[in-house]
Amino acid sequence: MNEHHKTAADLAEEQQQVEAAQADPARFGVLYERYYKVVFVFVFRRTGDEETAADITSNAFLKAMLALPKYKFKGVPFSAFLFRIALNEVNMFFRRSKRERVVSLEQASLGSLIDEAGQDDSEENRKRVLGALGHLNAEAMQLIELRFFEKRPFAEVGLILGLSENHAKVKTYRILEKLKAIMIKRRDA
Amino acid sequence: MAKYKFNIDKPEPSDEQINRHKDFKKLQGNYQRMTKPLYKTPLYKNPKIFLALVLILLMAYVVAEFTEEQEKKEKPKNDTVQPRKEP
Repeated sequence: MNEHHKTAADLAEEQQQVEAAQADPARFGVLYERYYKVVFVFVFRRTGDEETAADITSNAFLKAMLALPKYKFKGVPFSAFLFRIALNEVNMFFRRSKRERVVSLEQASLGSLIDEAGQDDSEENRKRVLGALGHLNAEAMQLIELRFFEKRPFAEVGLILGLSENHAKVKTYRILEKLKAIMIKRRDA
Repeated sequence: MAKYKFNIDKPEPSDEQINRHKDFKKLQGNYQRMTKPLYKTPLYKNPKIFLALVLILLMAYVVAEFTEEQEKKEKPKNDTVQPRKEP
């Protein structure tokens, strides 16, 4: 189990906190304290800049607070709702600023992505997969980031991107096939 | 196609750096501003609206003064005294 998986007891406790905040917005502070860091890091990994991450995180929490009355529990942590709002804010930021989108990853995650694409984890393949990732569109890159670089379960990936769990799985494996094809093409070229 | 910059093994900000930006009171203030209906906020508490109100009142006063002045100037023409005929 990784940090993104929660037990039923954790989810139930969290749901009580959400309901308390829905009844009284001042109680949102508990959720703010609990999730500020993870949302900040989520945004920082996509912007690479501390001040930008702070601004986007503030906007995301404000929008989450405003949208809280409509929130309904869907079997995944409340953080998925926050990440969805934060991701929209990140996308809006890049549309407005025309800056280069940042993708943060660890060498180990790159290795597991290469494994998933059915290739050997070699230095050459690491270069090839990075080149192939550069060909992905924004939605495909978000899927790869959430699933392989942040190791989130498909149910959460789907909720963050507004897809069903199954659709998120199908799309992810199609992207892996695409990456594999690009890598083979580059190897043979 | 989107352009990407890959940050590999870049360290994340420390807890201290992150906590520097955490401010729930500010968030609550912003939330209250966004959710409070406009009519419940006294107009004089918003500097922009207050300035606009002052300007509107000033313009109304100037227009009223100007119209009054014009009327005073036009009055003597209409007030021509007709000589009364003796029976």
